[in-house]
Amino acid sequence: MMTMPATPDVDEHVDIHEQEQTVRPWQTVVWNDPVNLMSYVTHVFREYFGFDRAHAERLMLAVHHEGHAVVSEGAREQMELHAQAMHDYGLWATIRQAPQ
Amino acid sequence: MSAPRTVVLELTRMEAAHLAGLVTQFAELLEDAESASGDPAIARLVPDAYSDDAEAAQDFRDMTEGDLLERRRQDAGAVLGSLSEAAALPEEAEPDDEVLMELVELRLDTESLQAWLRCLAAIRLVLATRLGIRSEEDHDVDDPRFGIYEWLGYRLDGLVQAAYDDR
Repeated sequence: MMTMPATPDVDEHVDIHEQEQTVRPWQTVVWNDPVNLMSYVTHVFREYFGFDRAHAERLMLAVHHEGHAVVSEGAREQMELHAQAMHDYGLWATIRQAPQ
Repeated sequence: MSAPRTVVLELTRMEAAHLAGLVTQFAELLEDAESASGDPAIARLVPDAYSDDAEAAQDFRDMTEGDLLERRRQDAGAVLGSLSEAAALPEEAEPDDEVLMELVELRLDTESLQAWLRCLAAIRLVLATRLGIRSEEDHDVDDPRFGIYEWLGYRLDGLVQAAYDDR
């Protein structure tokens, strides 16, 4: 016969929940706008992030059709650098924590 | 990644002169712009980086706005520099003078090409704000500024295509 102590179970659940909170990464999000050309946005993704053409185009199309796309994920400071770089090209980018 | 390379841009002296005039206006707008406050066209060049955190957005703005606007000024200067010779029209040129239709070649190295791309994209953003463009379908055939906007897009697209040799 096995018995499981109830209390540690509850604690463990809480711990996991808290850990999920702390590791939620930050994201740089590029938003669709009616001005920037598709070719230019693809160029920016290729040049700045070093993505190959196919990857850059997929991302550009995601921005275009879905209204926005996450272009990078990681530490907040790094995401701010990416957002500033996007603004430098004239793209509209924001920083956020990954949605739960 | 295939890096943008040197490209040759061919345009008429008249087109070069128009473009130089437009970039000069852009540079003048930037001269007066200390910050985004007040002018929505300048604000579009330095957008909010946090949509749900006004304090973080302000901190980010304080940190980046000066550099972003300075870069726009430098890009405008670089574009005007590469246009100066092509855009120089003889004083006595008549509107139908052949010299206006003379084709000139601009050779843009990697660095100046980058400045051109950013600058044309930025001027389009400013024009779009002035024209109230909210969707890709917005167009008014009676407003000549839309023609300028479309023309800048045509030139920008051509430069982007020329920058990559894998098409």
